[in-house]
Amino acid sequence: MLEYQNLFTRVQVRTLPEAGIEIDESTGTRFGTGTFSYLAGKFGDAQVGPIYLGWAGVLSLIFGFMAFEIIGFNMWASVGWDPVEFVRQLPWLALEPPPPQFGLRVPPLAQGGWYLMAGFFLTLSILLWWVRVYRRARALNMGTHLPWAFASAIFLYTTFFFQPLFVGSWSEMVPFGLFPHLDWTAAFSIRYGNLYYNPFHALSIAFLYGSAVLFAMHAATILAVARLGGEREIEQITDRGTAAERSMLFWRWTMGFNATMESIHRWAWWFAVLTTFTGGIGILLTGTVVDNWYLWGVKHGLVAPYPANNALTEEQQQLLRGRYQGTAPDTFPSYVAPQPAMMLDTTALMAPADSVTADSTRVDSTTARKTP
Amino acid sequence: MSILRRSIGLMAPLALLALGACGDAETDSVQVGYRGTGMEQNYDHGDLKKQFAQIKIPTPVPPAGESPPGPLPWQNVQVLNDISVAEFNRTMVAMSTWVAGTGNCAYCHNVANFAADTLPTGKPIYTKVVARRMLQMTRQINGQYSQHVKNVGVTCYTCHLGKPLPNGLWFYSSQTDYLRHYLDRDGARVISRQVAPTNVNRSSVKQTEWTYALMISQSKSLGVNCTYCHNSRAFSSWQQAPPARVTAYHGILMIRDVNQNYLAPLQPVYPAVRLGVQGDAPKAQCVTCHNGNYKPLYGAQMTKDYPALWGRADWNGVPFKGLTPTVDTTRAEPAVVPVPAVKRSSLAPVPTPSAVGGAAGSLNAPK
Repeated sequence: MLEYQNLFTRVQVRTLPEAGIEIDESTGTRFGTGTFSYLAGKFGDAQVGPIYLGWAGVLSLIFGFMAFEIIGFNMWASVGWDPVEFVRQLPWLALEPPPPQFGLRVPPLAQGGWYLMAGFFLTLSILLWWVRVYRRARALNMGTHLPWAFASAIFLYTTFFFQPLFVGSWSEMVPFGLFPHLDWTAAFSIRYGNLYYNPFHALSIAFLYGSAVLFAMHAATILAVARLGGEREIEQITDRGTAAERSMLFWRWTMGFNATMESIHRWAWWFAVLTTFTGGIGILLTGTVVDNWYLWGVKHGLVAPYPANNALTEEQQQLLRGRYQGTAPDTFPSYVAPQPAMMLDTTALMAPADSVTADSTRVDSTTARKTP
Repeated sequence: MSILRRSIGLMAPLALLALGACGDAETDSVQVGYRGTGMEQNYDHGDLKKQFAQIKIPTPVPPAGESPPGPLPWQNVQVLNDISVAEFNRTMVAMSTWVAGTGNCAYCHNVANFAADTLPTGKPIYTKVVARRMLQMTRQINGQYSQHVKNVGVTCYTCHLGKPLPNGLWFYSSQTDYLRHYLDRDGARVISRQVAPTNVNRSSVKQTEWTYALMISQSKSLGVNCTYCHNSRAFSSWQQAPPARVTAYHGILMIRDVNQNYLAPLQPVYPAVRLGVQGDAPKAQCVTCHNGNYKPLYGAQMTKDYPALWGRADWNGVPFKGLTPTVDTTRAEPAVVPVPAVKRSSLAPVPTPSAVGGAAGSLNAPK
């Protein structure tokens, strides 16, 4: 059968596994001699192993396993050690940080003590893994781009420890759990007045989406010129062949500018690293410098000052009601005729004061419309 | 040519079918705020149809006729002693179908002696004591919380729907922490009123999760999304919020009053089977009355037909034709004003009943 083949869809060769270069084995050694996997060859290199763990890798796995077990057993205990319920409710189970009344003190095990312990071991495990990544990069005489990119992600991770430290309560830390950590994300944003208006959150999202776009553009470009030898990206940096020329030409035609075979990797690296780095800054500023990002946005002109109350006439309002047109507003949930949210009758005292009017930087519809 | 024509002839009905499927969208999005801000409500036709079909409004009991003159003929009437005999009877008939679901007087009464709070065996009839307190609660809701129940009001049927136990009753547990917390605390607000952190607002992210849970429970109870009551870019802002939020706010005040002063204090009255694992009385939440509808029973007017439940001096302009209650013959009490619910601000402290049941001198006595 005819098969399209290049270096990306290569024939899987079976021979003696590649052992790699000689290394200083005083602090650890490689396990195994390597084996071949057909499936692995479909996704990457068919050779699996040998693997180098070293002291950092071994300790990292041990501490990671301890954190994993603490989290898992606490989740299991929370359903009364019922294995069926554990599986059924797993996405909703959590190991929660200590309740707020403990502040920065050490709580009993059942009230967040296990959480702090799991967090400690997980952090230790991650840091040791970083050491391992760094040492392997040096052992192979590589640059340290990988460990520093990893460090950026770890920086974001540690802000979830430092931010609670700065605001003085372990309870602010992220729970371990699938949905619980997502709920925390929503609650964190609501508590601090909508993280959408946090400029570092915005930057982080821009870099995150940018990373995805760059990844797609680069991967597609290289795959597209693979038939011209484009998979040899690095050779093409110094010795530009047809593949490099055409791929760069393509982007110059398409958007007037092109990255080079080399610079595209710097673009990607910086976008990825800045995603987590800016995100971490955004977390550290929240609750420490800014308590309400929406009001911060109002103060700095980030919030669009549209009329707060719907100014449409009754007729315009009816037109918007679609198939509910003509039905009395009482018969369907619907827009209620505009009126100031603050009531003027005697019950006005019962409504809490508006957050915006209580703030010196208010933008309300009446003043917004008066100012040109 | 003919093939072309034939194929057009085939295609046209298919195309119409396809377009028809698109035209009658399953969901309507109705704009409820300034353009381009995502302030909209989504109505699922299927859900609405289903919910409408589920709403069954009982036929009102025929209006009360002339009552015999003279003092009220019964004894031990502690709440409904300001209405005529005929009105009293029809209210009782209505209640028996609204709550007991069977028209069965014996659900709450000792049929040998309707005035008694106990069975012939001497066992207390807890349903009667609870029902008495619930009548007071209904009058309190209709009279004091018109900002929430407006001119629709509530009857027993609003929550009971013909069943002894309403939907959504809750008890203390780790799962209902957010409801309990909310009843104990002064407010659900966790968002700061100023840019910089201060010591004024020390709300934690966990409190925020409770508030979030409460809000989602309201959203589910009413079948509406966040933007029904909030501008989601600034959840805390009243100025940008749709007016429905004010109604909901009064509802929260109401449910807190209902739970603290009417439902929770009934704890000693209930048999153990009606109590929660921590021995607490069943309590209400938004879904208890709303049952997934933005307005309970989609705003069906039931209260207007039952002046005994008004708790107001008038209902939509119809005055309350009350009697000056004759003093209950079973006890000596000073004469009281005819209309129990002269509208007062809810800010005034709500009297906390120290005891429930028919004990003389308790706050269950007519005000």
